[in-house]
Amino acid sequence: MNRSMIIYVLGTVFKLEGFFLLIPVLCSLLYREQEGLPFLITGVISLGIGFLASFRKPDNHAFFLREGCVTTALSWILLSVVGSVPFVLTGEIPSFLNALFETVSGFTTTGASILTDVESMSHTALLWRSFTHWIGGMGVLVFLLAVIPLTGGGTINLMRAESPGPSVGKLVPKIRYTARILYSIYLFLTVIMLVLLLLFGMPLFDAICTALGTAGTGGFGIKNDSIAGYSSAIQWLVTVFMILFGVNFNAFYFLTLREFKKALSLEEVRAYFAIILCAVIVITLNIAGSFRSIFAAITAAAFQVGSIITTTGFSTVDFDQWPSLSKGILVLLMLIGACAGSTGGGIKVSRILFLGKSMHHQVFSYIHPKSVRSFKMDGHSIDEETHRGIQSYFAAYLLIFIISVLPLLAEGCDLVTGFTAVAATFNNIGPGLAAVGPTQNFASLGILSKWVLIFDMLAGRLELYPLLVLFSPSLWKELI
Amino acid sequence: MFGFNHHNIRSKPPLKCIIVGSGKVGSALVDVLTKEGNDITLIDQDPSRVEEMTDYYDIMGIVGNGASFHVQQDAGIDDADLLIAVTESDELNLLCCTVANQVRNCSTIARVRTPDYSVEANFLRERLGLAMIINPELSAAREISRLLTLPGALEVTRFAHGQAQLVRIKLMHGSPLIGMTVAEYAQTHTDPMLFCAIERNDKVAIASGNFLFREGDIVAFVCEYKSSGLCLSHLGIASGAVKNCLIVGGGRSAYYLAKNLLANHISVKIIERDMKRCEFLSEALPEALIIHGDGTDESLLYEEELETTEAFVPLTGMDEENIILTLHAKQVSSAKVVTKVNRFSFKDVIRSLDLGSVIYPRYLTAEAIIAYARARRESLASNKIVTLSQLYDQQVECIEFSVDEQSRVTGTPIRELRLKPDLIITFINRHGKVLFPLGNDTIEVGDSVMVVTTHKGFSDILDILA
Repeated sequence: MNRSMIIYVLGTVFKLEGFFLLIPVLCSLLYREQEGLPFLITGVISLGIGFLASFRKPDNHAFFLREGCVTTALSWILLSVVGSVPFVLTGEIPSFLNALFETVSGFTTTGASILTDVESMSHTALLWRSFTHWIGGMGVLVFLLAVIPLTGGGTINLMRAESPGPSVGKLVPKIRYTARILYSIYLFLTVIMLVLLLLFGMPLFDAICTALGTAGTGGFGIKNDSIAGYSSAIQWLVTVFMILFGVNFNAFYFLTLREFKKALSLEEVRAYFAIILCAVIVITLNIAGSFRSIFAAITAAAFQVGSIITTTGFSTVDFDQWPSLSKGILVLLMLIGACAGSTGGGIKVSRILFLGKSMHHQVFSYIHPKSVRSFKMDGHSIDEETHRGIQSYFAAYLLIFIISVLPLLAEGCDLVTGFTAVAATFNNIGPGLAAVGPTQNFASLGILSKWVLIFDMLAGRLELYPLLVLFSPSLWKELI
Repeated sequence: MFGFNHHNIRSKPPLKCIIVGSGKVGSALVDVLTKEGNDITLIDQDPSRVEEMTDYYDIMGIVGNGASFHVQQDAGIDDADLLIAVTESDELNLLCCTVANQVRNCSTIARVRTPDYSVEANFLRERLGLAMIINPELSAAREISRLLTLPGALEVTRFAHGQAQLVRIKLMHGSPLIGMTVAEYAQTHTDPMLFCAIERNDKVAIASGNFLFREGDIVAFVCEYKSSGLCLSHLGIASGAVKNCLIVGGGRSAYYLAKNLLANHISVKIIERDMKRCEFLSEALPEALIIHGDGTDESLLYEEELETTEAFVPLTGMDEENIILTLHAKQVSSAKVVTKVNRFSFKDVIRSLDLGSVIYPRYLTAEAIIAYARARRESLASNKIVTLSQLYDQQVECIEFSVDEQSRVTGTPIRELRLKPDLIITFINRHGKVLFPLGNDTIEVGDSVMVVTTHKGFSDILDILA
């Protein structure tokens, strides 16, 4: 295990977070808020630690998958702990556990909040909350790869551990430029959305926070009723952008290369849009009766579907009041999640697509036991390793899911609340149903439940294994 | 791996290269070309091999048949600058290059090593529009035969179209150089030669006037081809080509080497295990003596007079066997031994064994391609590097530049040029005549100039200026 390299990268993460923390400080200066000072202090300390830890460039540059996993998991934990300090210092979220929950929820782009009254928060804190979504969406280590000159092949392991999806590939030969392309597309889309929101009449601060929250598919609103208070034009705009940020970024890359055919032929992206379309139609028909016009029903259905499948978690209506069929579909969408290689969470459409094909394959083999068929995705056959990886991922996913529900039930949640609270955090969505529904929040949960959900959010964002590696005793023997 | 390189070449736009085949030569190329900062895409049929390489190097990997145009398109042939085909099969390599060349007009380099094609290499290259054909076995054979004509040297590299040589020697006990400085030797001897670099305890220095030679130093000097024997004898090292050579293993390298040696009137004996191969060799090399038997058998070697042979070259397919045979030969005879090592790994172990002359065919191939890639990167039209060679474990680069136009280095006496440290101008080749420059000499348009330096990534003669 290459400890000096891990420390170096962690130090760089501290440095980056120090810079990020200065952004809310600027905001506090504009709004003349007192809350800027704790952010400044935390930022400077974080920068200091970062410079100390990354002062000396390590001589040994060996960097393998285990180093990648450990670095990624530790980075995210440290990032969250440091990011939660200002909330405690300003006194806006006095309990450390609650502050940590809120920050983890921010970085993992979950958007599950323990705040009972969001509107009473300072602008500074609200901006920081939304900004954590943005940086967590594409990933802090991908950002690091884009800006810090770490050359070499081992670095792919950082990206592999942080980026969602069953197989992480490069767009161009050098990882640095791959990371830059991803962040450029990300930034470009965010800015476009911001401009459109402003054109549609949203106030500047609201527009910035909403754009950051949508881009990262996070879902922290800055109003108690999330997006419900804005015009339906804005709601549609947010719907479209949520869905766009749930698309595999490879598709956007192909678009920038003007390879429209390639972008449209990505199986995952097509399945993703098909699922959205079906869900919107069914839910619209199911809820139409309780709306004044069919258009209002479509608006509500599309927004909720877009918000849940991309794991954003904004809401315009209290879908907890919807009929059971619609609620059931939404829970299903929670599990499916967005495309691999997007900023969304969940199991990912590509894995679902793959499991579906695998099932079909199995049924077929009952009819023709000796048949030989290879799995294909986008015309390329999937190798045995990825195959096994997806299946074991699914098994581990279910296991962690079920085990996580138990502590919540033990602390007095009802079954629906417990189940959807885990579904909403493990898949990085935000709101669940019943006591954690869109008009409720996570403040009332017990201490153990909150710790479990914090773990679930991180495990969901990093796709289980990088975080699980930290629990392996053989790793700690090497690390210490 | 994870590195922080600060090469000169970083400032220039990277070359987009596609490498087909990730065998030993392919991976060696990936290693050197990524170190130079180029954008590499690797194509191979074997998914696990591609994954291994993409894990280790910052490159993109594609699984598929490199000769298929679709796969080439996936790899980005549309805006690639260079395609290098180094798969196992010559035919596939040529096909890869032809496809890339004819459909997308991208520069191509193919490895072609079968003797049948190698005699037609130039014809093939021109007709198929390739930029270069590489043949590691042939380059290795040429290098070995150069060593056998100058057996006192550890390594011999040719420059200026063969007119000048760079020779590496080890200072043994009793060498007249020991205890002298570079400047003192130059005063007492007027041989047309120039010391370039010295390795001591695994550290390499560029020669300067007050450098004091010690026993065990590995010294590199440049001299004229004609006078290399004379220079060596002044340094107390036996000169004169060997008269006979015993080769173990009758593979492609052995064939090329035997052909080369026979042309230089050195008699050749080849021991080969496989009867069929023996028959082929005796047909192809009628003047050589072909022995059917196991070359790793001590008694057979004794029978075939290893003790008295003047040169011994083990060329079996296995590095381990070659190294053992070398050690054995060093023990029982005083023959000049050259060891060919195919693998890259365990280089430090091999170095510590004191095998004498060791040849890495992969490096030889890589050098030619680096030279081409750097020249391509500098300017797509003119080729400013004539020859490039890396010495001392890639710590030192010897580059011969052609000077095609007026610039800041031309017309000014060399002593007035502000050169970078750790750099030496070794010779100027003017109209086919090799000059060892003094402070008053100038570089002129039309010259080719050879520079030895520990800096990496020079691609233009102007890079020598501070």
